[in-house]
Amino acid sequence: MKVNLHPKESLLFNAFQLIFIIHSVQVGVGVVGLPKIVFLETKHDAWIVVFFAGVLTSVILWFMIVMLRQYDSADFYGIHVDVFGKWLGNFLSFGYIIYLIACFFVIFMNYTEIVQVWIFPKLPTWQLAFILILLAVYAVHGGIRVIVGVSFLSVIGTLWIILVLFVPLRYADFTHIYPIMNVDIKHMLKGIQRTSLSIMGFELIMFVYPFVKEKHRALLYVQIGNLFTTFTYTLVTFISIVFFAEDGLSKVIWPVISMLKIVRLPNLERFEFIAVSFWMLVILPNLCLYLWASSKGFSRIIKRTQKMGIWIIAIVAFGASFFVKARYQMNMVTDLVAKAGFYAAFCYPVVLSIIVYLKKWLARRKKSHVKSA
Amino acid sequence: MIKWLLGKKSTEPSKAHSFIIDELKEQIKSELKVGSELTYRTLKKDKQKLVFCFMDSLVYKPGLDEFIIAPIQKNAKLEWTCEAIAQILPISDLSAVNQLDEVVTGIIEGKVYIYVEGQPYGLQADVSKTVERGIEKAETESLVYGPKIAFTESLIGNINILRHNIKDPNLCMEDLTVGTRSKSKVKLIYIKDIAAEEHVNGFREKINQLEIDHVAGATVLGQLIENNSWSVFPQLVTTELPDRVTIALMRGKVVVLMDRSPDALYGPTPFFTFFESTEDVYMRWNMGLGLRFLRLLAAFLSVLLTPAYVAVLTYEVIPSALLVSLGQSRANVPFPPVFEALLLEFFIELLREAGARLPTKVGQTMGIVGGIVIGQAAVDAGFTSNILIIIIALSALGSFTTPSYLMGTAIRMVRFPIIILAGILGGIGIMIAFCFFIIHLLKLDTMGGSYLSPVYPLRWKDLGYSFFRVPTQYLSKRPITNHPIDVQRFSAPKAKKKDVDE
Repeated sequence: MKVNLHPKESLLFNAFQLIFIIHSVQVGVGVVGLPKIVFLETKHDAWIVVFFAGVLTSVILWFMIVMLRQYDSADFYGIHVDVFGKWLGNFLSFGYIIYLIACFFVIFMNYTEIVQVWIFPKLPTWQLAFILILLAVYAVHGGIRVIVGVSFLSVIGTLWIILVLFVPLRYADFTHIYPIMNVDIKHMLKGIQRTSLSIMGFELIMFVYPFVKEKHRALLYVQIGNLFTTFTYTLVTFISIVFFAEDGLSKVIWPVISMLKIVRLPNLERFEFIAVSFWMLVILPNLCLYLWASSKGFSRIIKRTQKMGIWIIAIVAFGASFFVKARYQMNMVTDLVAKAGFYAAFCYPVVLSIIVYLKKWLARRKKSHVKSA
Repeated sequence: MIKWLLGKKSTEPSKAHSFIIDELKEQIKSELKVGSELTYRTLKKDKQKLVFCFMDSLVYKPGLDEFIIAPIQKNAKLEWTCEAIAQILPISDLSAVNQLDEVVTGIIEGKVYIYVEGQPYGLQADVSKTVERGIEKAETESLVYGPKIAFTESLIGNINILRHNIKDPNLCMEDLTVGTRSKSKVKLIYIKDIAAEEHVNGFREKINQLEIDHVAGATVLGQLIENNSWSVFPQLVTTELPDRVTIALMRGKVVVLMDRSPDALYGPTPFFTFFESTEDVYMRWNMGLGLRFLRLLAAFLSVLLTPAYVAVLTYEVIPSALLVSLGQSRANVPFPPVFEALLLEFFIELLREAGARLPTKVGQTMGIVGGIVIGQAAVDAGFTSNILIIIIALSALGSFTTPSYLMGTAIRMVRFPIIILAGILGGIGIMIAFCFFIIHLLKLDTMGGSYLSPVYPLRWKDLGYSFFRVPTQYLSKRPITNHPIDVQRFSAPKAKKKDVDE
């Protein structure tokens, strides 16, 4: 397997689009439950913790880009092979692919669950899962350009939901946030860890990087995308805290959707129906990008066509959806993936980039030694 | 579609025809099985024989008599050789040929073949006539504002109009032929230093590679050369307005005109081009902007309104104030909302189709019968609710505002699956359809370019051309979606801000 990936010129996309990729892949099913999850750990300071999680993400993104810059045009799988050799590298990549598939699975399963709870209690899980998987497969068949387009249009098309979030502010009580910074370090770190499910997704930059046209500007746009996410998340958490009564937030499951319930339109009673339906557009780029990244890994490692990988992964994920029957099981799986995400998206890339950097540094030193000798 | 049409064109070696007139007649007759239409006129002088071969139906008789036969007959001193005859014939389009297939092709095209027995070659003179209608007002794309002239079926006439619109010497017209049997003439038109090479080459290659017996017109040619023939969305625009073509050429697009087809085909044309009307350009920019937005909104609502009605009614999310009136009007309706909506949509489609097929006067009556009588009766009979009639009428109107007839039809057809999905899954169903169409539109391309351009990939400067309409002084650059070679339309005025009372 080649370390560097040189896609055709026509497949490259502008670095500018990274804003939308990073933002759209971060915002997904996690954010509807984010305020509650963080609130459980850190109480009314949750919004500050979410902000810090965003800052931490930005640092990790910096690590990733620095690592990617050590190579000409490599992706995560290529770097693995370069650093760990063929066998160990591919083994680690394989583990990562499983993590990506698990993310894919958790996203559509969680969305199906939300739909079942809010709109169609009797809808069989497999039906909606089937449709979502097919949509993702259809998009991924179009390649990276279509997926980037999906993430762009998804961000543009759902931007208005942020504006709607200001409606609950009319009923807000701003005293809920006082006293500010009342949380200790231990709970804060725990809180940051709990945000991982919502904020992860940015690790996919390591897979799309070879397809970026102006690679030297990638860092800037990635940071803007993450900044936008951080801003959105902090806002959402802040509004949830001031909107819900003190213990109300810990009792709801999806505070964001519950908040949207109070929006009233003259010709439509239950606004959350629209919000839940529209959420499909929010999770669509997530599904596409995770499916794309994992199937890309499939074709890179096993050297078969990516189309085959797409179908195998889609069938595996669809089959797995039959094993989850109850709400508590789904919760378990989600928690598991969230934990895995914390290690796979937050910790591992930092370790890997340090290894890569050290390796390159050693190689450079050797070279200069040879030269001077 | 282009893929299965690819193939190599076979060429047979041709041979010279017989130099004896009687044999030549037989040869031509056996090549062309046309009966009495094929006419010969033989002249004799000093044992020399001369024959005129032509198709009765294709030749302009007075021209033939006056400009070909008369000079030869009257000129007694004339020596009957090809050079000498060519010298005296007052005909501009004259060529010397002796290959049998060339002769036959010429005769089919309406030329007269003049041959003197024993000569090594003969003369082919063009006195053909074409039957064509005069230039008329645009019918399918009727306008309130702007030039009314429309293309006709005559290629020469169409080119004449275009040449008069653009007097740029760089306006290129390449000759191509399509149809292995019909051999229709096609002109590939572009402005050399504006249109991108890749688009010109793309069109040329695709048209040249077509291996098909007959192409029925520019619209069909468009279907044959676009990349995704499965999609409901047309990927190339056809228009009958010369000024629309002129504007397109000036923006760097490539135009294809076909003989005997009153439509011009041009590309690359992204999705939003189909919602542009030339009137937007002729109007003041703010009104053009408003109308263009109105049209986009109409198309959007046309797709969305009926499904939304079905979703809202099936899964009862109506506020109490509206519930009363909706409930009252639906109280008599025994059907579920999906069925009701599909029924009425079907009815409207029938009306439209019937109106299009009938003569104008009957068509108007149809409209009244359909719209008022049946509409009112359907409500009274408890087939549908009043509100649905309003919604259906709105969405039908919305789809007719689209300037491109093809796109309007596509929008109407797309509605049916969405209504069914909305009936099954409510808002989720609509969203599934929405997501599908987003992906689908992203996957489409027009001559290799992105179909959703300039929205994706985002091209700020082009938005002023297609999505918005901005004052002309801000459009100093041609749209980069077309990759123009010469980007500059005019040099942007240097803005010098004036102070008050300066």
